[in-house]
Amino acid sequence: MCVWNVASGQCIENTKLPYRHTAIYYYHCSFRMTGEGWLLCCGEYQDVLIIDAKTLGVLHTLSSQSSDWINCMCIVHSARIQEDSLVAVSITGVLKVWELSSSLTSIQERQDVCEKESKSLDCLNCQAIRFCTYTERLLLVVSSVCWQVYDYCDFSLLCTEFSKSGQCFAGGEVLAAYRLIIWTEDGYSYIYQLLNSGLSKSIYPADGKVLKETVYPHLLCFTGLKENKSFPFVMGFLNERKEPFYKILFSGEASGRITLWHVPDVPASMFDGSPKEIPIAAIWSLQDNFDKNLSMSEGIIDHLCASKYGIESAVVTSSVYIPSLDKLVCGCENGKIFVTLGLKTVRARLLENVSLKGNLSHKVLNGHSSRVTCLLYPHDNSVKFDPSWLLSGGQDSVVICWNIFTGEILHQFILQAGTVIELLRSPENFKFKDHSIVCCVCNDHSVAILHLQKKECLLHARKHLFPVKKIKFDPVENLLIVGCEDDSVYVWEIETGTLERHETGEIAKAILSSIEDSEYLVADALLPISQESKRNKNPEYKSSSSYKLGMVSYNLTHTEKSSDKIMDNSLIRQPFTVLPVKTKWNSANFHILLFDLEKLLELLLSSQLCGLKSSNSFHNLDTIERAKSTTEKRALTLKRNKTAGSISTVDGQVDAVCANQVSGDTNAVRSLEESGGIKRQKKMKSSRKIRMQSSGNIDVDIATDTAKLLLSCLLPWGVDEEIDNLCVRHLDILRLQCPVSFGLLSNESHISLMLPGWKCTDCGVLEEHTLSNLFSNRVFDLSNKYLAATEGQTETKEEPVNNTYGAKGSETVIFLFNRIALINRIINMPSADTSEIESSHRSESVHDKWRNMEAAMSSFSSFYGELSSKTSKHHSPDFRRGSLLKLICCWSDQSIKIIEAMQAVLLAEVQRTTKTLRKTAVYREPLAIVENGNVSALKHGKSSNSANFQDVEDVPDRCVLEESESPDDMKAHPWISKVCSCKVC
Amino acid sequence: EEEFKWLLQEEVHAVLKQLQDILKEASHRFALPAGGAEGAAKQESFVLSTAGTDQVKGVLTLQGDALCQADVNLKMPRSNQLLHFAFREDKQWKLQQIQDARNHVNQAIYLLMKRDVNYHFKTGSEVLKLMDAVMLQLSRARNRLTTPATLTLPEIASSGLTRMFAPALPPDILVNFYINLNKLCLTIYQLHVLQPSTTKNFKPAGGSILHNPGAMFEFGNQRYEVSHVHKVECVVPWLNDALVFFTVSLQLCQQLKDKISVFSSYWNYKPY
Repeated sequence: MCVWNVASGQCIENTKLPYRHTAIYYYHCSFRMTGEGWLLCCGEYQDVLIIDAKTLGVLHTLSSQSSDWINCMCIVHSARIQEDSLVAVSITGVLKVWELSSSLTSIQERQDVCEKESKSLDCLNCQAIRFCTYTERLLLVVSSVCWQVYDYCDFSLLCTEFSKSGQCFAGGEVLAAYRLIIWTEDGYSYIYQLLNSGLSKSIYPADGKVLKETVYPHLLCFTGLKENKSFPFVMGFLNERKEPFYKILFSGEASGRITLWHVPDVPASMFDGSPKEIPIAAIWSLQDNFDKNLSMSEGIIDHLCASKYGIESAVVTSSVYIPSLDKLVCGCENGKIFVTLGLKTVRARLLENVSLKGNLSHKVLNGHSSRVTCLLYPHDNSVKFDPSWLLSGGQDSVVICWNIFTGEILHQFILQAGTVIELLRSPENFKFKDHSIVCCVCNDHSVAILHLQKKECLLHARKHLFPVKKIKFDPVENLLIVGCEDDSVYVWEIETGTLERHETGEIAKAILSSIEDSEYLVADALLPISQESKRNKNPEYKSSSSYKLGMVSYNLTHTEKSSDKIMDNSLIRQPFTVLPVKTKWNSANFHILLFDLEKLLELLLSSQLCGLKSSNSFHNLDTIERAKSTTEKRALTLKRNKTAGSISTVDGQVDAVCANQVSGDTNAVRSLEESGGIKRQKKMKSSRKIRMQSSGNIDVDIATDTAKLLLSCLLPWGVDEEIDNLCVRHLDILRLQCPVSFGLLSNESHISLMLPGWKCTDCGVLEEHTLSNLFSNRVFDLSNKYLAATEGQTETKEEPVNNTYGAKGSETVIFLFNRIALINRIINMPSADTSEIESSHRSESVHDKWRNMEAAMSSFSSFYGELSSKTSKHHSPDFRRGSLLKLICCWSDQSIKIIEAMQAVLLAEVQRTTKTLRKTAVYREPLAIVENGNVSALKHGKSSNSANFQDVEDVPDRCVLEESESPDDMKAHPWISKVCSCKVC
Repeated sequence: EEEFKWLLQEEVHAVLKQLQDILKEASHRFALPAGGAEGAAKQESFVLSTAGTDQVKGVLTLQGDALCQADVNLKMPRSNQLLHFAFREDKQWKLQQIQDARNHVNQAIYLLMKRDVNYHFKTGSEVLKLMDAVMLQLSRARNRLTTPATLTLPEIASSGLTRMFAPALPPDILVNFYINLNKLCLTIYQLHVLQPSTTKNFKPAGGSILHNPGAMFEFGNQRYEVSHVHKVECVVPWLNDALVFFTVSLQLCQQLKDKISVFSSYWNYKPY
């Protein structure tokens, strides 16, 4: 169970309980209840659970005499009866009523609460039960074969209407007094009027029997769908709470389509009495969102193919990002595999800059005859594998081992076992005769074990009846343990290829868990969810976006985990990842760019201040600690892709350009990689060594580029033409080609994504094409507030700065980035803390919250202080921190979305910095000011860019010099941080 | 393409029919009182037995998903005293696992019934989806029988089961009934109270199907330690049948899925 903030897309609370719910209702009794209220749940367990709406802990259960699963229920709240009740129908068709408001105390004291009434309704498969709040006495019960109306007073049956043959009712709602809407499983709905005789016109007839006999339904209107009835529908009804108060009937379909009807306030039949059809008001599908925003939803490597050939023919069917090489490998539907540089590709794809395009180095690997279904770079997590190996599996049942640097085929394994579904490396500690092996899962449920050095298939285990769910290795006895979807386990001997054991049930579970428990055995698990979606491309029952996200979220935790592992090994990883997202709609596969703000900031600053050994290491420790203690939530931007691509065999030639942009050491590594292939073992060692040494430098470049990319994505472009141009020219933050969609990672493994069309609905400024990427109109408002609140800084800032433009530019990038990270931290902090502290006293919690924030701030601001001390000598940290903190805390209290806040601050800071830039520009570079008003000419832009690149390279050294020249600043930092925390506390 | 059409129109329905028959047979095993006549569910008695010692003897009577009678004799290990306890006349103990398994099977049957012979399958993915849904219910049904709930000792102590006996259970005895595969199991825990002075290394035991002697827990401000565990069980033949039916029908489902996916991998089909 998760609680989500719908506005910001953050997951606030999540829990895992051993109950499967089928319905959840929120109940709050305002005058007698403390806390957030209850969630009343029913599902595949006995009776009704009461769950705390805030903490998601189980409070109590409502029990009954003949306990069974509850199929459906509703909360009856009526002024006439003066008692809130819960009416539920069990799976065997027994109607049960629990009193809610009068049993509040007994529930809180955990006494048994039994049902007040119980009556067998004689209807199986009850789908819905609804209380009529208009008459306050009718009860609608919908089962799959019929719907019935009962009198709530004595539960006597008033009328029954059976469904047509072949149709199953799925639910219903009361529209008004004596007016009902019933919908079916295949997407139809019917509106009925319950007619009664003149005798029972009064609402409370003295004699209920009279009414009973005279109620009969009359069909007024109906709705229906014309096409595609083969998928189940989920339908519902809602009354709009704001203008224009539509009554909406909605229907969701498994393919991602939603259909709306407006139910008229007074539905009426045709003049001749026959039912009238209500027309569809709106119809929309997820696919439409991608189709309508084509500019944005092109494939991640489309520009590679388009630039040369202009034909798009292939769809990316699998992709993997190799962080250590910054390579993005994409396998296509037509069997081609593209290998490109990840960050460069993304930049070229997203940013408006001609020079970046066409200069992209990429390789095309030809080998598969049909779609590439999976890719594996085994060296990524396990150094035992040769770094040049790349494995790909295809629909043609062939696994190819490539040399990723040269593009040659090292070996082809022909399996003849259907599509290759998944490629997995053996765990770190498992070795087969001192060699590592790769195991591959095929469509016919077989598992093949491939020995890469020997180029042979050691074992092809083909006995499995059910899809493979888990694969584990026993290094002691050289066993392969395969867990299947039916919970049976097969144990194979790798050396001889014989099936050693086949177990089911408890023993099977014990075998699987015994491997997990022993510490020296690592288990490599295959996720059933991702496996399933990859294999079938077949949507689950309700393929809402949340399901899709569930899949993503696992992937995220997975990559995060692995990157953590690498961090321990002191190999520096990038705070940036490209994640492919598989959807069931072939044409809507896209990639997510994940940015780790904390990590990126750390990299940027450590590289900048690498001269300050003592203070630096201290701060690093600090930030790491912070990162651990606060629940890490990262903002991320994402890019949509309609995956497509075409064949092109452009090679090499671009490397020269890359070399210009990347520092010398990177170049060395790369050329080494390129030339490699002769003596593999040697090369492996040497290249790794070089990478280790030069990692600092690589990271500076990649980190600044990544930071710039993130800033480009976040900055609201088009607010002020002049600012935009200044940003592009001086800060080297490039304009976006098209607006991006944002997403938010929360609670460690939960993600929410916006669909590509979010702009149209959110602010309605799509027509003004100049205003791109603005999250909402509130951003302006916020940024003005921010400017006002931090007014004091502007004066100090406007002092002339001695730095050259290039250095200044990159510093500003870091400064801006700092600000974003700060906001991220502050906004995320309270939600994390309040939940922890909640149990303690209120006043204390507020206090703690502040202290916590200060603690975070102090570690942070000491960085920040160093930076700002360079740009402006007279900075006043106390004032700034206080006001900033207050403002942002205030924002987070007002539930302003994190991206809004980031954009606002970014806009304000950019406005401010460019103001100074403009002034100094008058002084130093008259050329620039001439161009200010115009839309920047291409030539100029280019030249300034290249100049910037050179400057960026020089930055680290210069900074080191500066810092070492001002030792006073350095000493001051720990002191400053101490003072600050004391002051507030 | 012709072959695929045949598969969709003929083979699928044949398999579905077969599945329905098997599952209906399985659901009959659960002795459903759905026919309306509550008394129709027949009562079956089972004799509890242990391997080795005969410290616990008893007879359990099962009626559908409810244990309606239990008659247990426990020979105390040290004193050789015979302890006898039985269910109160007016009480029944619902075996949640059987009820859940029965409900899951009925859901599966309901899913299959909705797609009867007259239904025309148009796409392969439609069949796959139906099979997924049915398999989900079936594997849940089977899992309910094969995996008893892991309970903590305080949970056992606070369950309604302790109040069902006449004469009432002595405070140092805990009982728990559960299904494990085809066996109906009864575990009896004998406890002794831990003195507050000796509770320095008190470590409450977590959830488990079967707790071992020495497991400690706290209940009602009193700390206990399990001194003896007695486990007795009896085979319920119809549960075995039901499990076999589940396995067979799961395999049928998977085979049908495989048949359909063979076609889809030939055509690069789009699911929609």
